[in-house]
Amino acid sequence: MSRDKTTVKDFANTKGQLVQLDESGFLTLPPPYDDLNLQPRIRPATDEARKKYECDLDGVIGFKFPRPETEDEKRQLVEKFLSGLKKLFDRENNWPFLQPLFVTMEYCAKCQTCAQACPVFNESGQIEIYRPTFRSDILRRLWRTYVKKGGRFIASLSGNDISVSWTMIARLMELSYRCTICRRCAQTCPIGVDNGLVTRELRKIFSMEMGIAVKPLHEKGSVQHLDKGSSTGMTPVAFLDNIEFLEEEVEERTGLEFKWPIDKEGADILLIHNAGEFLAWPENPEAFAIILEAAGINYTLSSDVLGYDGVNYGVWYDDVQFAKVALKHAEAAKKLGVKKIVIGECGHAHKALTVIADRVFAKEYNIPRESSMTLLLDIVKSGRLKLDPSRNDDLHTTLHDPCNMVRLMGIVQPQREILRAVANNFQEMTPHGVHNYCCGGGSGFAITQDGNFPDWRNSISCRAKLRQILDVFQDIIEPEHRKYVCAPCSNCKGTLRDMFAAYGLFERCNILYGGLVELIVNAMTEIEKPFLEWEWH
Amino acid sequence: MSFLQLLFCVSTLVFVIGVVYKAVRLARMPLHLRWDLYPIPHEKGKGHYGGSYYEEVDWWTKPREVSRAAELKEMAKEIIFIQSMFHHNRPLWLFSFPFHFGMYLLTVFVILVGIGAIMALSGAVVAPDASGIVGAAVYYLTIIFGVIGAVLAAFGGLGLLISRIVKPDLRHVSTWTDYFNVVLLSAVFISLLWIWNGVDPSFAYTRAFIGSLVSFSSIPALPMAVQVHLTLAALFLLWLPFTHMTHFVGKYFAYHNIRWEDHPNIRGSRLERSVVEALGHKITWSASHIKTGGSWAEAATDTGNDTEGEQG
Repeated sequence: MSRDKTTVKDFANTKGQLVQLDESGFLTLPPPYDDLNLQPRIRPATDEARKKYECDLDGVIGFKFPRPETEDEKRQLVEKFLSGLKKLFDRENNWPFLQPLFVTMEYCAKCQTCAQACPVFNESGQIEIYRPTFRSDILRRLWRTYVKKGGRFIASLSGNDISVSWTMIARLMELSYRCTICRRCAQTCPIGVDNGLVTRELRKIFSMEMGIAVKPLHEKGSVQHLDKGSSTGMTPVAFLDNIEFLEEEVEERTGLEFKWPIDKEGADILLIHNAGEFLAWPENPEAFAIILEAAGINYTLSSDVLGYDGVNYGVWYDDVQFAKVALKHAEAAKKLGVKKIVIGECGHAHKALTVIADRVFAKEYNIPRESSMTLLLDIVKSGRLKLDPSRNDDLHTTLHDPCNMVRLMGIVQPQREILRAVANNFQEMTPHGVHNYCCGGGSGFAITQDGNFPDWRNSISCRAKLRQILDVFQDIIEPEHRKYVCAPCSNCKGTLRDMFAAYGLFERCNILYGGLVELIVNAMTEIEKPFLEWEWH
Repeated sequence: MSFLQLLFCVSTLVFVIGVVYKAVRLARMPLHLRWDLYPIPHEKGKGHYGGSYYEEVDWWTKPREVSRAAELKEMAKEIIFIQSMFHHNRPLWLFSFPFHFGMYLLTVFVILVGIGAIMALSGAVVAPDASGIVGAAVYYLTIIFGVIGAVLAAFGGLGLLISRIVKPDLRHVSTWTDYFNVVLLSAVFISLLWIWNGVDPSFAYTRAFIGSLVSFSSIPALPMAVQVHLTLAALFLLWLPFTHMTHFVGKYFAYHNIRWEDHPNIRGSRLERSVVEALGHKITWSASHIKTGGSWAEAATDTGNDTEGEQG
């Protein structure tokens, strides 16, 4: 396949679909998926969908944004975009990220060191629009042309101008959803430029000024979260019903009968899960409950609106939604008078609530936040649980490092120490730790299920992770060996679930995914029956 | 004052003002949300694998253990050896390292030329046979730092230029300024070597020129080659503040204020007071789910969830 030579000028000026995706150009996967016939396809959008929705970037519809019908509509959208662009560089409107954005805009030397690090760019066979600097260069040109003093005249002198149009903006809208914000590019940049940040900042223009966002993140995400109590739509009443059901299930599975503490005032800890766990992977909150009960931890869950769902989708696209949700989490903790909030197995919840929201909280809202990984390690090391790692001997385990917990927060060792204590056959992926590859579902991709976007995710953004999984288990790839990808993050699990299904990984290679707590409980000797059920879910 | 003297003074002034302006502008930007990225080298005992204080239970009750030595060591490796490029882009590092290291040596060269100029103005002799050891040392060190620095920097510069022309992924993303920057710099280094190899083997003319600036005296007679070199150097100083080549300023902020900025917001701290202040910034984002016109604190605590007219 000849080298892709799409330029930023093509991005602005070309009519029709800019890039045609060709699976034969993607990087070859390890066996058995070196056979293209075993790989899923990126289904082309239907003619009806192409006519209705903007998809002139690469034929993939992530946004499902209806094509404006009149020139007047397009003009208004363009004006709104430019208005938002200016606010992005305003110290009052973008105090949260002005300095990091400015450094990125001002100092890129175009050395392309970041390109080597980007899984989306490389696994796609180096499709130009997915190059980390491609997206950033567009924003940089927009900034120089429409915001910086001197405007288009000065920008054009250096060949760094660009002309805005609805076609360009519609493509940019989609392009802002072709990066998982894993920040591997930022990690390798010699200067400190952050192309992942650019993705996020672009999304803010669309959401915070134009009121445009991917539905699962906004209307069915943060808006639903604030309205109903959970991004899943689960209300407090439904949450309490769920807990009752899970209590019964725990008793059925393990023989252990106990009530889960809910709304217990004065508890030491408020534990907040990603609410998706209750619905998709109930064994995860069940395992937490079993562990904390056995260890005698004084904790509580909350049935307050937002108190039982630790997600914060705003962290990927909207600073105001982000702040609203974070403050509601803090409020739930404040109401119960707990000493700290502990975050369950959810990567972005870790980073959002503990790190990024750190400078949103003040006074009584400034309640300490901690990772469940550290609490779990403390429990495992204390000896309060009787653990026998040989109970996990039928599994070969590897660890997926969620970006938000590891590279973006520095929680690297606790989960490994736990794994070594509960599973004998543990192998690291390469690379791992802070140099891990994203699962491919970061920045909201895991929940973006519309159109043919999941196909793009499974084929391109997930590809590096799939490669790692196949590589680490290559010697035992046959189905007679049970292989477990431990992924202590809900969004990562959702992504892996869809990816495994698309490639038939469970049926073909007997590879399953799951959290960390399930392995801990599986190693608990007081529970006779294996807790981990080796079946597809 | 001759045209060359004026050009050099103006260029130096523009350079200094430009660099200071960029630093002050970045320093005065508002407090931002945390956006740290690991590994952070100052995390004591954890920096080498990318761990953070968040790995500790009840981390806020424990004293922060920070290793400035580890941080300085990483900074030195990055500044002197450009280690990130060594690890992640070796082919380009082969040129970028000598390019930058050569410039560090040339910075010492410039200082030595200045010292030599002032010594000469005060009557001291800067020569191999100077009676005092200092005069001889300045004489020889000037040549050593100047020549080695220029050789490395010129090699690196030409290598970077050729890379940008020859490698498709660099050529594809470059505009004329990306080529011009490295051409101009390389011309400065090559012209320095040219005058050393020809009319100014001990940089005596260069020293005399700098001396004339410092003492506000008329320009000494300079060979054309020296005038060309000095003009190129002045043009570079004039041009630099308007380009990303001021990344030595940006890099400081990128690492210390952003990537490695992991200072926690503890209850009652000065940082917490800054957070309260930041939440008082005015917000005018206009999507309907945002309470616009008031403060960020008001927008963040607004219980309305209006999405009228929104898509998504």
